Amino acid sequence: MSLFVAEGLVKRFGGLLATDHVDLAVERGEIHALIGPNGAGKSTLVNLISGLLPADAGRIVLDGVDLTALAPHQRVHHGLARCFQITSVFRNDSVRDNLLLAVQAQAGSSFRCLRRREAETALMDAALALADRTGLAAVLERPAGVLPHGMQKRLDLALALAAHPRLLLLDEPMAGMGPEDSVQMIELIGRLRSETAILLIEHDMDAVFRLADRISVLVYGRVLTSGDAAHVKGHAEVQSVYLGTEAHA
Amino acid sequence: MNRPASDSSRVAATTGAAAVAEHPHQPFAVRFPGFARRLPWLVLAILALFPLLAPTFGLEYYVGFVRRLLIVAIAASSLNFILGYGGMAALGHAGFIGVGAYTVVALVEAGFSSAWLAWGGALVVAGLSAALIGAVSLRTRGVYFIMITLAFAQMLYYLAVSLRTYGGDDGYGLYTPLEMGVWLDGVHPDVFYWVVLVIAALVFACFSRVAHSRYGHALRGIRDNETRMVALGYPVYRLKLAGFIAAGAVAGLAGGLLASHNAFVSPAMMHWTQSALLLVMVMLGGLGRRWGAPLGVALWLVLEETLKMHTDYWHWPLGVLLLLAVFHAPQGLAALSERREGGR
Repeated sequence: MSLFVAEGLVKRFGGLLATDHVDLAVERGEIHALIGPNGAGKSTLVNLISGLLPADAGRIVLDGVDLTALAPHQRVHHGLARCFQITSVFRNDSVRDNLLLAVQAQAGSSFRCLRRREAETALMDAALALADRTGLAAVLERPAGVLPHGMQKRLDLALALAAHPRLLLLDEPMAGMGPEDSVQMIELIGRLRSETAILLIEHDMDAVFRLADRISVLVYGRVLTSGDAAHVKGHAEVQSVYLGTEAHA
Repeated sequence: MNRPASDSSRVAATTGAAAVAEHPHQPFAVRFPGFARRLPWLVLAILALFPLLAPTFGLEYYVGFVRRLLIVAIAASSLNFILGYGGMAALGHAGFIGVGAYTVVALVEAGFSSAWLAWGGALVVAGLSAALIGAVSLRTRGVYFIMITLAFAQMLYYLAVSLRTYGGDDGYGLYTPLEMGVWLDGVHPDVFYWVVLVIAALVFACFSRVAHSRYGHALRGIRDNETRMVALGYPVYRLKLAGFIAAGAVAGLAGGLLASHNAFVSPAMMHWTQSALLLVMVMLGGLGRRWGAPLGVALWLVLEETLKMHTDYWHWPLGVLLLLAVFHAPQGLAALSERREGGR
């Protein structure tokens, strides 16, 4: 049985069918890439899976648990974490406070209101461990908003990792990055393979072909085809979609 | 530290502190840690001694004034908690003050005379109202949240107007002071002042403490980036509701104290302009800053009191003050002390 299954997901915005009966499966230990031209509905799909957008129809199942009816924050506790295409960190807070906030969500109640958080060494240790894993240990005291773009992206990823996800949704983790940062990010994502399955949305085809075990192509809200890199590269319709869109437009 | 040397030495010369020259950008509390730590206790001591010293300087009248200031500061602190830390722009906070005040009236009318029961009741009933109003309002965001909290507060206002038993539009006089217990009543004419001071200090200490707790950090996270907080797994709605209820309850307590202070309760105290005034005071002092609420309340009420002595047209200088604040201290007074030499 697949780790994650999405069945018949539908999302309409007025007359626009942004997600058109999408079926998708992610296996354990797999990096599953989702590619497609702009406006294909990739981000919408991530929002449906993470629950930030309510789906009009369909269901999602993670590890045998039906998450469809759960609120987005509850899905996180079932092992479904995500990153954001537009980097979403707490810009005015230090990297340390960003990580602490992410760690705190997973360990104990956030309704505790009398004890100083600084006194909780377990939280601090977990935050530092997270910083080490994502290469942020040297910038712990810097405000997140002043970090270089590549580091902010890594922090965004670190925040998602705090949830110990079983399925990690990455919405364009390489967006806007220079080549050096991309290489670092590809390495980091590659190392995560051992601990979580990943659904990776990415425009950088280099990254996709290097990381992905399986690739699904989304066009006009529908899954056009799904398979390994060779299959997708050789697919006639995929080629026409990627090479021919400008001619049609 | 790439400021020109002459600039630094000018700063050192004007303030006479060598430490300032070395760290011209550091906040007040960092440069003078000892003083900053002791300042709250100093203020508390002065406030505690004020009723004893006032007669010497002929300031007896102002004991009552400071008492009112402290009560308003309690309400403002609770608003600062949800607005400044939680990012909830509630424009109906006076509604909870009113609920607290009318709870006192209801208990007095029902024959109870204990102050502690009345104020405790004000706290609880206002907290319950906040739970109901918050449960609905917090499903909205931004402008809609402002409008819906305003609407609820106006409903409470008109409810108070229509309550004939409690005086309706004319209000309700509390002719016999509430009893605070044998070992407090009659000890000193200003016992109520000290009770208010203790409650204000406790409320302030609690909110300061909570600000640094897990809950306080979560609340600020929601203010800064609610979507990310959801994606991190935080039960955002319930966290906000908890803050809203706590703030409503404390505002209700302030309302109960205000009822005792004025010995009079009327719907006017829960009119929406009162909510707006509270907002203005908190913003003037510094949203989401520890000292924001008391500073804003003190500045506003002291100026109002002073201006009233000199002119009937005391509104317009306050308006000018607001304009100045918007342009020169948009972060509020509390922020001003943190970066006097910074910025320019």
